[in-house]
Amino acid sequence: MSVEKSRVFIVDDDDAVRDSLCLLFKTVDIEAIGFESGDKFLLEFDADWQGCIILDIRMPGTSGLEVQKLLSERDCTLPIIFITGHGDVPMAVEAMQLGAFDFIQKPFRDQELMDRVAEALSSNEENKEEVLQKRHVTERYATLTPRETEVMQCVVKGQANKVIALDLEVSQRTVEIHRARVMEKMAARSLAALVRMSLLLEN
Amino acid sequence: MTETTQAPIEPSGAVQLDPVLDAMVESMIVIDEQGLIERINKATTDMFGYTTEELVGQSIGLLMTGPDKSHHVDYLERYRKTGKKRIIGKGREVQAQRKDGTKFPADIAVGEVRSGKLIRFVGLIRDLTEHRQVEEQALRQREEMVNVSRLSMMGEMAAAMAHELNQPLTAIANYAAASIRLLKQNKDSHEDILGALEEIVSQTHRAGEVIRRTRNFTKSGEAINEGTSLKKIAAQIRSLAELDTKANNIRLNWNILDDLPPINVNSVQIQQVILNLIRNAVDAMQDTPPDKRIITVRAKLTAPQQIRLEVRDEGSGVSENAAKDIFNTFFTTKTTGMGMGLAICRTIVRTHGGELGFHNNNRYTSSEGATFFFTIPTQVNR
Ligand SMILES: Nc1ncnc2c1ncn2[C@@H]1O[C@H](COP(=O)(O)OP(=O)(O)O)[C@@H](O)[C@H]1O
Ligand SMILES: [Mg+2]
Repeated sequence: MSVEKSRVFIVDDDDAVRDSLCLLFKTVDIEAIGFESGDKFLLEFDADWQGCIILDIRMPGTSGLEVQKLLSERDCTLPIIFITGHGDVPMAVEAMQLGAFDFIQKPFRDQELMDRVAEALSSNEENKEEVLQKRHVTERYATLTPRETEVMQCVVKGQANKVIALDLEVSQRTVEIHRARVMEKMAARSLAALVRMSLLLEN
Repeated sequence: MTETTQAPIEPSGAVQLDPVLDAMVESMIVIDEQGLIERINKATTDMFGYTTEELVGQSIGLLMTGPDKSHHVDYLERYRKTGKKRIIGKGREVQAQRKDGTKFPADIAVGEVRSGKLIRFVGLIRDLTEHRQVEEQALRQREEMVNVSRLSMMGEMAAAMAHELNQPLTAIANYAAASIRLLKQNKDSHEDILGALEEIVSQTHRAGEVIRRTRNFTKSGEAINEGTSLKKIAAQIRSLAELDTKANNIRLNWNILDDLPPINVNSVQIQQVILNLIRNAVDAMQDTPPDKRIITVRAKLTAPQQIRLEVRDEGSGVSENAAKDIFNTFFTTKTTGMGMGLAICRTIVRTHGGELGFHNNNRYTSSEGATFFFTIPTQVNR
């Protein structure tokens, strides 16, 4: 996974709103890029992007809600903060149900927006860690032999070596050897760590 | 004949006339060539408060007031001399006056009765007071409805305006906040701050423009605007309509021909009709996919003396079931609808001598949207 730096992606059809938001982020040294329509954004969107999205809920052409749906179809995990007008609360609620990170009503206080963006960025950061970790675990898991995989599945269920040996019809000693190999290959320092990894793999 | 006593029983056995005349609700007065009252029925004494004795032999002018008082006698005089009929054979509205001095509107129809050389006139007088009251009440009610709907429409427009105002306000707040941050940071950000301030100025003007556009509409207007242009009237509400369509992601096509003949209309009311039709079209397109969200407003001459304006949408169309009811007051298929819009629009258009109607864009299915239209007669040269 390439290490993209965090940016704020602003999708708003209103030139002045978009431009002023970019300037606002510039003052806190956050890089912001503006897109004048949902379609433009979708066209350029890259799954490796990091940061968060600020999305106007009402736009001509593809609306904010539709952009959100299309992004999630493309497995975008960037947190989305919707900008809404006065009467858009029902739409904003729908957006939240669809997994939006937050929404903020126009006009807003700059600090309020900055705080939400900061939260969104750190949520993305955590998310990024998790994604990275998952990828590593998956890679390691793939190096296990079929027998080792079997042993790992039994181990994370909490079965004792003796039980596993009976189940797999091998000696207890063999199970111990496989088990040590699994811990080593998965780089798991404890049984708890291995269980956590197996949970990651399940998701 | 000077009084309403016994009339001889007709040899044929026909009904006696006097009871019939006395049973009439209308006042009946027979006058001679000079306009002097010869005979009256019971309704006349009831209506005017005089006794038969007080009236017979008096001039018919006694029962009128204002200019009508003398005119009637003049008419008879003229008729006698020139044979020119002014009111004979026709109905006419006059101000009548009772014995106690109170006045009331009345309709008078005068006919001529010739027997041999003798000419008499018979007048039928109907009290219009009640009729007038009903008419006035209906008028007031309609005006009230028009006002209510204008208010509710203005409420909707105000919401759209609030949305539109939010844009520049948000930008201004952002630019100002950014400038403050930059100034506090004490870095060399002169250019950014200058740019932000310039933007603030232009966004302020933008906000002012939104307000200016809406202000025109809120001015009330009652009068008929003679010889005005539909294009101009429509143009005045275009930006208002656009607030509505834009807020709903709808494209608004506007196609009103330049060379339409002038019309005599109450501009505010006609604007209200157009806005209402657009509002309904917007409502009808809530489930229309983004690429088909288009409303087209079109106006053209459809007959030498008739302009037709139509509002076409790509919405839900009108179902066969709803079609017969949509013009009825309080009929609505919307959860928050009032069902007044079309009823009021139709009243307005009809008082202007036009008609309001609609058809689905596709005859066989309502799914391709609807077109609502109204006609307006062009100014007729008199
Ligand atoms: N453009 C349209 N397309 C489809 N149906 C319409 C359209 N305009 C009006 N209608 C129907 O006519 C009904 C009555 O309209 P109206 O009198 O304006 O009241 P309201 O808009 O409050 O419902 C609406 O509820 C709707 O069912
Ligand atoms: Mg309506």
